[in-house]
Amino acid sequence: MNPRLRAPLLLSLLSVMLAACAPAASPSASGAVLASPSATPDTTPRFPISLTDDAGRVVTIPVEPTRIISLAPSNTEIVCVLGGCDRLVGVTDFDDYPAQVADVPKVVVATQVDVEKVVAANPQLILAAGNELTPTTVINRLSGLGYPVLVLYPQTLDKLYADIHLVDQALLGRTLGAGNASSVVDALRAREQAVALTVAGAGRPRTFYEVGVFQGTIYTAGADSFLASLISIAGGAPITGDPLSTSIQLEQLVAADPQLILLGDAAYDPTITPQTVAARAGWAGMTAVVDGRVTVVPEDPVITRPGPRIIDGLEALARAIHPELYR
Amino acid sequence: MRAAATTSPRFVARPSLTRAWLVLGGGGALLLLALLAAVAIGSVGVGVGETAAILGRRLLALPLPVTWSPAAETIIFELRLPRVLTAMLVGGGLAMAGTVFQALLRNPMADPYIIGTAAGASLGAIIGILAPVLLPALAVGAGTAWLGLGVVQLFAFAGGIGTVLLVYAVARANGRVPVVTLLLTGYAVSSVLAAGVALLMFLSGRALGAIFGWLMGSLAGASWPSLAFAAPLLAASFGLLLLRWRRLNVLLLGDAQAAHLGVEVEREKLILTMLATLATSAAVAISGTIGFVGLVVPHLLRLATGPDHRLLLPASLLYGAALLTLADLGARLAGGIPVGIVTALLGAPFFIWLLRRSRSLVSGTTQ
Repeated sequence: MNPRLRAPLLLSLLSVMLAACAPAASPSASGAVLASPSATPDTTPRFPISLTDDAGRVVTIPVEPTRIISLAPSNTEIVCVLGGCDRLVGVTDFDDYPAQVADVPKVVVATQVDVEKVVAANPQLILAAGNELTPTTVINRLSGLGYPVLVLYPQTLDKLYADIHLVDQALLGRTLGAGNASSVVDALRAREQAVALTVAGAGRPRTFYEVGVFQGTIYTAGADSFLASLISIAGGAPITGDPLSTSIQLEQLVAADPQLILLGDAAYDPTITPQTVAARAGWAGMTAVVDGRVTVVPEDPVITRPGPRIIDGLEALARAIHPELYR
Repeated sequence: MRAAATTSPRFVARPSLTRAWLVLGGGGALLLLALLAAVAIGSVGVGVGETAAILGRRLLALPLPVTWSPAAETIIFELRLPRVLTAMLVGGGLAMAGTVFQALLRNPMADPYIIGTAAGASLGAIIGILAPVLLPALAVGAGTAWLGLGVVQLFAFAGGIGTVLLVYAVARANGRVPVVTLLLTGYAVSSVLAAGVALLMFLSGRALGAIFGWLMGSLAGASWPSLAFAAPLLAASFGLLLLRWRRLNVLLLGDAQAAHLGVEVEREKLILTMLATLATSAAVAISGTIGFVGLVVPHLLRLATGPDHRLLLPASLLYGAALLTLADLGARLAGGIPVGIVTALLGAPFFIWLLRRSRSLVSGTTQ
């Protein structure tokens, strides 16, 4: 009767989510871009500025925010790629990139937002994450206290580019495309297109990306998810799970017969290897296992973090799906 | 002999007046201490003098000079004070509802959630949490509130009350609601609703964290508006329940004896059930399903005071409030874990120790 009895299952499910945000190991390209004079004439800050965030809320930022709190590592990376790293006065304990955010006070610990610490930091702008990564109750609470809270929830690369522009506007109070965002987005877009160009015309292997397996339930990319779209761009045909639970049943997976299995969870759990996957009941007959195309993806942290480094993740996916094109 | 968890004594012994004042005075003092500590202590340090000055200025309109930052004032007055008051009300409400259900159902395992409140409120809350996720059209309006309340609180409150009404209606036969039928019906209906809860959790994706926190019980969402919703409901049920202590004492004798003594048993059971459910649902709506307080506080007090509800009801209010306030302080200091974990983790071993101690006391005196 009591739903609390299901705690062990819940905890393991929660750990899937935590794993998706666990510290990244690979420092890489796209560091901070310093303010460079843009060709666009209108560079005057215009505060207050009203912006529409990814939750459809209209948020008014009264003054140029020099004290910013980021409630998700992806938001932190967007602020920093735009040159705003020095303005951060609060981040999460999962934040690990760029290196300088290690010194910023942690206002989110073990996924719990410490509202007292947020208030004590006296922020002028709070960047939250959508889809309950920042709980709606926390967003409402902080908005209710009078802070401008911008919710970022990009679900495609194009939405991510739009969010980089949105944060740029929030930082600088400028019209669209007047700040650093254009050069940042142009560079990211060029790399995305390079990947698309490289895999164009190649075969599209049926690709299964393993997010985690808990108590026999297999978690993967949900249908129409960001992860599924990245696999498509990287030249694979994603085998997706239920859009809500993001799980797939083993018999569905066997029927879908992946030609390639990517082990995202192996980035956190060294006991998950191509050998242990082949030894799982029911997995041995899959084409990917027979052909020896089961690959560990150590870049999972950047693949599942919707910040600017997700392009690193996209390139890693393309290399894993089409190693022959990247020799 | 006074056994550990007596809920159906042959007679109700009246505790001495001194003892009654000792219990109530001690409870009041403990509650005051808990209130002061919980407002003064948190993850951000605000000086005790500063805290007192902020409260004096905001609550009593004392003309004190503002020597503190706006952030400190927000932390004390907008974050901690409503949270501490919510903990007090919820703790008191759960303990009192637990006392009533234990007497009404003559069952020592009874807690405020036993006939379906928890399952109904949980399902309501989870539907409220998932509504914006499942129906993106609602996401735009996710921040909107009615009476200062979110969809989650309203659905939880309605779910709790609605479930108990349903259980009561189903358990009723020939104008009577036998206690055993009520318990079993509550169990069966809860099981169905719990299946719905589990299904929605499985489908919840990212929202699972929010649902998990709600089921564990947390006071992190406490605010003045949510308090303004729940406080009148809880205060009304407190008042009306306190007035019914005599009937509760008589009901302890069993339905037949109570009827012989002139109590309209069925009417009285319905009124008591609905008052206790009102308190429970209002508490659950603003805090989630916090376990243990409503089960243990009545037992602890019965050990100390005996089963007279004239003392037991107000004492459960005071001690339940103090216990949850202190547990929530512990939860905040432990990094914001759900308070239900603290109540169970610290409360259960203490309860076991007390049970064993009182049993050895009792056997020591009677043998």
